Amino acid sequence: MPGDRLSRILAELSDGKGRWPAARLCEVFPRIAGVEGAGVMLMSGDVPRGSLCTSDDVSRLIEDLQYTLGEGPCIDAYQQDAVVTEPDLADPETARWLAFTPPALQAGARAVFGFPLRVGTVRLGALNLYRDRPGPLGAEQHADALVLADVTARWVLETQAGAPDGVVAKALETEADFHFAVHNAAGVVSVQEDISVTEALIRLRAFAYSNDRLLADVAQDVIARSLRLG
Amino acid sequence: MTREAEVVRSLVEMADTLVDDYDIVDLLTGLTDRCVSLLDVSAAGVMLASPSGGLSLLASSSEAMRLLELFELQAQEGPCLDAFRSGEPVGQEILGPGSGRWPLFSGAAVRAGFKSAVALPLRLREVTLGALNLLSATQAPIGEADLIVARAFADLAALSILQHRASSEAQRLNEQLSVALTSRIAIEQAKGVLSERAGIDLAEAFARLRAYARSSNQRLTDVAQATVDGTLDPHVWVPPAGG
Repeated sequence: MPGDRLSRILAELSDGKGRWPAARLCEVFPRIAGVEGAGVMLMSGDVPRGSLCTSDDVSRLIEDLQYTLGEGPCIDAYQQDAVVTEPDLADPETARWLAFTPPALQAGARAVFGFPLRVGTVRLGALNLYRDRPGPLGAEQHADALVLADVTARWVLETQAGAPDGVVAKALETEADFHFAVHNAAGVVSVQEDISVTEALIRLRAFAYSNDRLLADVAQDVIARSLRLG
Repeated sequence: MTREAEVVRSLVEMADTLVDDYDIVDLLTGLTDRCVSLLDVSAAGVMLASPSGGLSLLASSSEAMRLLELFELQAQEGPCLDAFRSGEPVGQEILGPGSGRWPLFSGAAVRAGFKSAVALPLRLREVTLGALNLLSATQAPIGEADLIVARAFADLAALSILQHRASSEAQRLNEQLSVALTSRIAIEQAKGVLSERAGIDLAEAFARLRAYARSSNQRLTDVAQATVDGTLDPHVWVPPAGG
């Protein structure tokens, strides 16, 4: 029964006081969906905005790689508005994310899944799940993940509903990484190179990409003035 | 195609529409047209309750119906209002000028060419959202089968209205979140710009941005955006002499 599934999942998400801290969401997702790790990526206008939460270092890397490279399961799930499953990243026949796949595999992700976060026709981002061994999600796990994505999407909007206009709800920020350092660095680079911040962001991404580094790490070096592009 | 098949097809088509982004007035106008083509009625209209509790006209199958429903709202009497207020269906009522349950409404309805009326509440569980008005140019009794179909249309109308409200609300909240994040990002970019221009760290850059926004009575977001765009004079952040 779909209702039973929802009740069971809601009970697992609750902290016993009827609240769902963001940290708790990503913490319990892997157990519910039977995977090693989970992360929630927010997107808007086809661009990743950052992570609401991640359950472990591998999930964080999966999100950071997608933020840096602009490709991966969450981005596809959001853009295609459909569930994206990659049961074996190591299978050369199915290689679809040329830049994302090698570092994701190296970090320990073998199967990755992206579930769009949506409420009605509104798209918010994607839930990503990973496993350290190849194989598809079981039918039950898949169904659970759909409910998790649905519950998370509603939670995001309900939480934001409590915030004043123009402000991101505090509860959304507690575990989130919206990559503010990357934007600090874009500001710095725009002055150094006399370019717009939009162009500076592109230059930062290109530098990270061609040096096999994460955008977040490059940004830290730029802010510390230990790295200068151009 | 049999009428039953037509009804099923109409319901399926309308349910399909609910999956996509849809215009509620368009959808409900289509529903009133289907009421006329599939039921033994001459005109149909949908009224919707506003948040303040009053009814307003949302969709009509014809201009005559639109005017009559506006009259009903103005006169504050008629089948739609009764169905909405009671939350219960209003069974077929024969309309005569200046008499019966709604003397004012009946007069206007008869002048517009209608002779009987039925109304159904648009309900979802305990909540009444509005009402569906069905008017006929004859006094022939409306059949049980027609009433069942009309009820299915009324339920679908109620569902589509609720879903549309939820979807607009979700859209609004998502935009609000997006705007909030964008303005946060502009502030972070401005901190970077200022730290490089003035040779200060990010915390000091933020302090100067805030101090400038406060002293010039501007929003921090606007100051940040102007900083990023390069349209603010960099001298404004120079710390006060001796400071």
